[in-house]
Amino acid sequence: MIDGNNEGARRSGPSVVSCGDLAFSYPGSEGAALTGVSFEARAGEYVGVVGPNGGGKSTLLRLLNGLIKADTGSVSIGGLDPAAEPFEVRKRVGMLFQNPDNGLVAPFVEDDVAFGLENLGVGRAEMRERVRRAIRAVGLEGYERREPHTLSGGEKQRVALAGLLALDPEILLLDEPTSMLDAAGRREVLERLEELRGTRTILHVTHHLDELLSADHVLVLNAGELVADVFPKRLVSDAKLRRENRLALPTASRLAAGLRLDPAQLRTPEELAEAILRRVKLGVEAR
Amino acid sequence: MRIELESVRHVYAPGTPFEVEALRGVSLMIESDEVLGIVGGTGSGKSTLAQHLNLLLAPASGRILADGVDVQTIARSELRRRVGLVFQSPEAALFAPTVEEDVAFAPQRLELGVEETRRRVRETLELLGASHLAARPPHALSAGEKRRVAIAGVLAMAPEVLVLDEPTAGLDPATREDLLGVLRALRDGGTSVVMISHDLDEVAEVADRVCVLEKGEERAVGTPEEVFYTFPEASLTPATVRVVRPLRGSHPEVGRPVRFEETLAALKELVGGQV
Repeated sequence: MIDGNNEGARRSGPSVVSCGDLAFSYPGSEGAALTGVSFEARAGEYVGVVGPNGGGKSTLLRLLNGLIKADTGSVSIGGLDPAAEPFEVRKRVGMLFQNPDNGLVAPFVEDDVAFGLENLGVGRAEMRERVRRAIRAVGLEGYERREPHTLSGGEKQRVALAGLLALDPEILLLDEPTSMLDAAGRREVLERLEELRGTRTILHVTHHLDELLSADHVLVLNAGELVADVFPKRLVSDAKLRRENRLALPTASRLAAGLRLDPAQLRTPEELAEAILRRVKLGVEAR
Repeated sequence: MRIELESVRHVYAPGTPFEVEALRGVSLMIESDEVLGIVGGTGSGKSTLAQHLNLLLAPASGRILADGVDVQTIARSELRRRVGLVFQSPEAALFAPTVEEDVAFAPQRLELGVEETRRRVRETLELLGASHLAARPPHALSAGEKRRVAIAGVLAMAPEVLVLDEPTAGLDPATREDLLGVLRALRDGGTSVVMISHDLDEVAEVADRVCVLEKGEERAVGTPEEVFYTFPEASLTPATVRVVRPLRGSHPEVGRPVRFEETLAALKELVGGQV
């Protein structure tokens, strides 16, 4: 049963990604990886995907870009069935994998970023410009002639993201795009994604709820089922929903809740510090 | 085991146009039975440092001592049994048909006998809460389950020092908590634990000492409260300290808490009767 009861508003507009009663089992495994999953993402929506390890998040992204084929149910992405037309779909859908090692193929960083464009037959001059912009966008200027295997995990993840930005797909499927990044790199990547908000449709899998506080809506997948499709506020307010799905609020929000301050209003540690100062001052004045 | 690094330097691709000096003379002590957290930005040399601890990479100059003995003089197989290294995304190396066989792979080569090997595999899987996965094929596991199995494979060697490179990346918060609990239990049992992480909040929670690497040099080493109250940059400060620090000017009595529970207690004390 999908729980969609909370405040907020969905975007209007055509459905770009939709799944109907989707089911999939990996060969040789006992349980189903996904069962009865139905949802839609409309054009320009930023959709979060959360849930415990093994909940079906990565499987869902693989089904959406046609890497695997659903056992039953329907998948439509930009009006196409990815299992039937995987190459058409991949012209419009960019995917970022969890482990960046799996995606890097070329001898130099700049070739890697250009790789997808080459396959699409983009002209030389335009390619160079798009690669340059993408490398700058992820803060890797000066890395053009580095060999990907000499890079750190976080640098590789940014190269992979640059490759995706250079392609500029209509739909972005991101599987934990910040999992290997330090605080500064994470902020940079989130800012890039924020710039794309509204103009691209984004599905963003993460374990960090703070990355999804301004998402349009968030899918919660647990044990292969879509247990909730909610506005992000609900994830902050509903402790039971979090507990049942092995989710955790960021540290500042947990401190705020412990102090009976509203975690939904206090998104950063600095905002919380200000609220505490105000509280203490009020207390002193009252006495 | 106590490990000492003396001015360790490492250069990738020396003498080529791609030369990178990843470590620029790092000196550091890793005490037995402590959790040492190593933090620092992307490309600061964290993973390179980790791979020196069991000589997967050798220093260009400088020395590494294990209980006072230069590790270069210790047989590699001996060193790698005593210093276990869990790589980034270690699940990529799972290969055996079942979890049990995968975890047994390394200890089998120690010639412990079938019974002892089996016992170790069983105990290690239990410690990591992965006993129920023993007969499953690794490729059918979820990312979090694979991670636990990969760590079990290293722990089954019963290393004296366990080095983990970003062990919680990609784990859900509850699984991450469980793993941090395992690391604490190992530390309490006398294993030195070196945890590399870009997640300052989790390092604040679990580390006894912290080393901050920056561009291949150690910028600070000390207890979490010494280190985390030193740097002005938010990118080097865990969320708990970012909340407390702005309060210290007008309310120094709040102290320098780092861990979540002690921070919450100090803040409750500060707001006093209001909560």
